Amino acid sequence: MKRLISVIAIFAIVLTLAAGCGKSKKPPVIGISQYGEHASLDNCREGFVQGLKDAGLVENEDFVIEYQNAGFDDATATQIAQNFSANNVALMCAIATPAATACFAAAEDKDIPVIFTAITDPVQAKLDKGNITGTSDKLPVDAQLELIRKLQPEAKTIGILYTTSEPNSVSAIGEYQEKGPEYGFTIEGLGVTQQSEVTLAADTLIAKGVDCLSNLTDNNVVGVLPSILEKTNEAGIPVYGSEVEQVKIGCVAAAGIDYFELGRQTGKMVAKILRGEATAAEMPYETISEFNYYINSAALAEMGIDVPAEIAEKAIESGNQ
Amino acid sequence: MNNFLDLLVGTVTQGLIYALLSYGVYITYRILDFPDLTVDGSFPLGAAVTAVLLTNGLDPYLTLPVAMLVGAAAGLITGLIHVKLGVRDLLAGIITMTGLFSINLQIAGSNMAIDRATDTIFTAAPTMALFGGMSLIYRKLIVSLILAIVFKLILDIYFNTKSGLLLRAVGDNSVLVTTLAKDKGSVKILGLVIANTLVALSGAVVCHEQRAFSSTMGTGQVVFGLATVIIGTTLFKNLGFVKGTTAVMVGSILYKACIQAAISLGLPANLLKLVTAVLFLVILVIGNRQKSGVNSNA
Repeated sequence: MKRLISVIAIFAIVLTLAAGCGKSKKPPVIGISQYGEHASLDNCREGFVQGLKDAGLVENEDFVIEYQNAGFDDATATQIAQNFSANNVALMCAIATPAATACFAAAEDKDIPVIFTAITDPVQAKLDKGNITGTSDKLPVDAQLELIRKLQPEAKTIGILYTTSEPNSVSAIGEYQEKGPEYGFTIEGLGVTQQSEVTLAADTLIAKGVDCLSNLTDNNVVGVLPSILEKTNEAGIPVYGSEVEQVKIGCVAAAGIDYFELGRQTGKMVAKILRGEATAAEMPYETISEFNYYINSAALAEMGIDVPAEIAEKAIESGNQ
Repeated sequence: MNNFLDLLVGTVTQGLIYALLSYGVYITYRILDFPDLTVDGSFPLGAAVTAVLLTNGLDPYLTLPVAMLVGAAAGLITGLIHVKLGVRDLLAGIITMTGLFSINLQIAGSNMAIDRATDTIFTAAPTMALFGGMSLIYRKLIVSLILAIVFKLILDIYFNTKSGLLLRAVGDNSVLVTTLAKDKGSVKILGLVIANTLVALSGAVVCHEQRAFSSTMGTGQVVFGLATVIIGTTLFKNLGFVKGTTAVMVGSILYKACIQAAISLGLPANLLKLVTAVLFLVILVIGNRQKSGVNSNA
C-alpha cells in the first residue's frame, strides 16, 4: 500500500505544481493546441502569433501563449484540451481538425471560446456552431486548375491521390471532379487508406498514363511526397503541389494559400475577441481568398515546361537553387 | 486549487473510460495469455458504429449495447481465425485489425463528427434527471465511473462462475482444461469475444465524450492496454485482496495521469512520449522496490 500512496503523492505534487504555475500568470492565456509538428501547421502557428502582434497586442503583456502539440495522437489532443480547460485559459487556438474537435469538446462545459485554423471544411467537422470560429484552409481549386492548364496546354487527365478517411481530402476531390471538366480535364482520383499504400497508388496512376499529378493537403500523401516525386520524375510526369512547402521539396508549381497568412488572419480574429470587440459565437468562420503562385524553376525545366510570362510575373520562386 | 480539481476530474474520467479497454486487454493478455491485436481495430469499430447511430438519432444509451455486439463479433472473428483456421494468435489479431480498418471506414464513410445538438450519454434525459445539477465534466466523471465499476463487478462475478474459472484455467494450465473434457478452443473464443466487447464499448464511450470518430483513433491502443495492465498488476502485486480488474482500472488512470503530468509540466511537445516512458519506469521501479530478485511477470 505504501508504494501506491507514494505514486499517488508524486502525481498530486506534479499536478498541483503545474496547476499553480498556470495561475501565477496575469495576462490572458491563449492555449495553442497543434495536432502535430508539420511545416504548414508550424507556419500557421507562427503567423497566428504575428497576427496578434500586428493587431497591437504585446506578448507577455496582453497575452501569454501556452503551446502544446499532440504528436498526431487523438488521445493526447484530448488531454491537452482538458489541461487548457482546467487551467481556465482565456481561449483555445486549435490547429488542424482533430485538435479543434478535442478543444471544442473540452471547452463545452466552461464555454471557453475555441478558434481553429487549418481546417478545410468546418461545417462537415461540425465546428461551425457554438462559441467557436476560425479560418478555413480550403484549397483554391479553380486557381490550381487554371495554373495546370496554362503550364500544360495539352494535358487531359490529372491524377490525384487522397486518403479516404480524410474528410478534407474527400471534399476537395469532389470539388476537383466537379470543376475539372470546366478546364478540359478529366480527374483520375485514387483513394488510399494509409500512408504505406500511397507510393503503390502513385505507381497505379503513372501506369494509367495521367498527364500530371496534383496534390491536396492530404497528410498521408504529402508525408511521402519525396518518394512519389522519385517515381514521377523517372516517368516524366510533373507533380503540382497545394502549398509552398511542397514546391520547395520538388513539385513543379502550386497555386496555394500561404499558411503564415492564414495564421495571421486567425490571430487578428483572436485579437478582436481578446479586446472584447466580438465573440467567437457571433463571428462566422473565414476562408482565405488570396493565394500565391509558387514555382520551382529547376523542376519545371526538368519536365521541359515553359512558364508563360503572365504566370512568371506573379509567381514566387520557391525551389532550392 | 480549482484548476487542480478540474484537471484531476478530466484525467480520471479519461482513465475510467479507457479502463474498459484495459479490462479487455487484461482478459486476453493476462488471463488467456493471448496477445490480441484486434483491439486497434475493435476500439475504433465501437466508435464508428456509435457515431453513425448517434447521427441517425438512436437513443444514446442504446448505442452502447449495439457497439458491444459489434465488438463481440470482431472478437469472434479473431477467435475463429485462430482456433478453427489454426492461424497463430498474433497473426489472427493482425488480420482482423487490418480488415476492421476498412470496415470502420465503410461504416462511417470517413472521419465523423457529431454536432452539439445531438444528445450523448452525458447529456441524455436519464443522465440529466439524475445528475442534471452537476456541470458537464462531473457528469462525464460520474457516468464513466458507473460504467467502469459496473463492468468491473460483472467481470469479477463472471470470473468466479464455472465458465470464468475455465477461462482462467486456459491461460494458466490448458492441459487441465483438456483433462476436464472441455474444448479449450471455444473457451479462448469466448474470452476474445468478451474482451473485444469491452474494447468496443470503450471506443463507443470515447465517441460520446469527444463527439467524434476518427479512423486512426485505434492506433497504439493495444500498447496502451498492455501498459495499463502491467502498471496495475505490478503495483498491486503484493496485495492479494485487490482484484485484477481494480488494478488495471488504477493502471489506466495512472497512465492518463502520466501523460497529463507531462503536458502540465510544459515539457517540449516532442518529448511527451519520452517523458511518459520515464514516468512509467518510475512507477514500475517503485512497484518493484520491495521485491527482491527479478519478477518473471514484469
